Amino acid sequence: MGKSFNRLIAGVVVALVSVIGAASAADAPPEIPLTVDKNQFQPTEVKVKANTPFVLVITNKSAKAAEFESKDLRVEKVVPAGKTVNVRIRALKPGTYSFLDDFNQQATGRIVAE
Amino acid sequence: MGGTFVITLREGFEAALIMGIVYTYLQKIGAERHYRYATRGGLLGVLGSVALGALVTTLSGPLLDLGPDVIGLAVILVAVTVLTWHGYWMQQHARAVKGDVQHRIDEAQASHRLWTIGVLAFTGVFREGAETVLFLWGLLTQATSPSGWASATGAVLGLATAATLGWAIFRGGRHMSLQRFFAVTSVFLLLLAAGMFSTGVGRLEAMGVLPQSSMAWDTSRALDDHGVVGGFLNGLVGYRARPSRLEAGSYLFYLIVSGALLFRSGPPKPRARAPRGQIPAHAA
Repeated sequence: MGKSFNRLIAGVVVALVSVIGAASAADAPPEIPLTVDKNQFQPTEVKVKANTPFVLVITNKSAKAAEFESKDLRVEKVVPAGKTVNVRIRALKPGTYSFLDDFNQQATGRIVAE
Repeated sequence: MGGTFVITLREGFEAALIMGIVYTYLQKIGAERHYRYATRGGLLGVLGSVALGALVTTLSGPLLDLGPDVIGLAVILVAVTVLTWHGYWMQQHARAVKGDVQHRIDEAQASHRLWTIGVLAFTGVFREGAETVLFLWGLLTQATSPSGWASATGAVLGLATAATLGWAIFRGGRHMSLQRFFAVTSVFLLLLAAGMFSTGVGRLEAMGVLPQSSMAWDTSRALDDHGVVGGFLNGLVGYRARPSRLEAGSYLFYLIVSGALLFRSGPPKPRARAPRGQIPAHAA
């Protein structure tokens, strides 16, 4: 009993570890940089692979806070001045998804998933 | 200047509406001496916004990535709960209004704990508050040039205009009958809460907590929700130009469930409440 119980525990631990390992491996989606500077996004068009999750790494190089907002992506994210924020974006169907800086609405851009 | 004016007006609009409503509400039920519940709630909302705004600028890494989202979701959850409860209560009370004024007031104060007013005021201000603080802070640091000054002035004027709108609601609402005020605001709060609920569900969807669903419709060409009119409708009734099915569905779900709760469970109008198929006692 004791032995099989230990085996069971070991089995569960191994299974858990492998699941977590697989999850964290799958959890390392590509990082796509996006910069806010001089009231502009750089680049203004971000190309990503469709149906693949990714992380948008948004760096605000300007002296004031920006808010990355995309109603299409359901994201609203404040990026304080001089900070970098990682925004996980789920796998997108092919298409165009617009975003803007809600604090400075002439700064706009779009994500093209293809 | 125009751009920043619109932004703060929009951010402050919802808070001003809610503050206008809660003050009018207190005045309506004859609880003017309890204005402090609304005032304290609103002030706490401002303080909380400043604190969160300051905190966000010191955070980094995962805390900055996720912290504001979690707080944002929690606020939405609390706001929807309080709005639902309050709307329900107001509707109940609007139906129950009868008898003399003093009786009505005592009943209102006894059956509705006034601290919920404070929570409503707090969430109303806090929800968009931290963002507004960061936005204003950014503008003020750049207010050294003439154009910077113009932007900062526009932003302050936007907030002032929002506050004026809240005040106008308070002035106007005072002349409405209690019943009408309760009826109108409970519908309005219902729509507002439905919009928030759907926003919260959308966030969960974007974060991967809920499964992703496809777009329900696209009206972004006709009425963009980033535009002035669409933006206001977004804040007021949760209008969305490109919602997911889950968001649109949760909006409807909320409307139906709490609408049913609101409009069907009032105190009995004797005739309407007689169960169907049951023979009234006097006829038996």
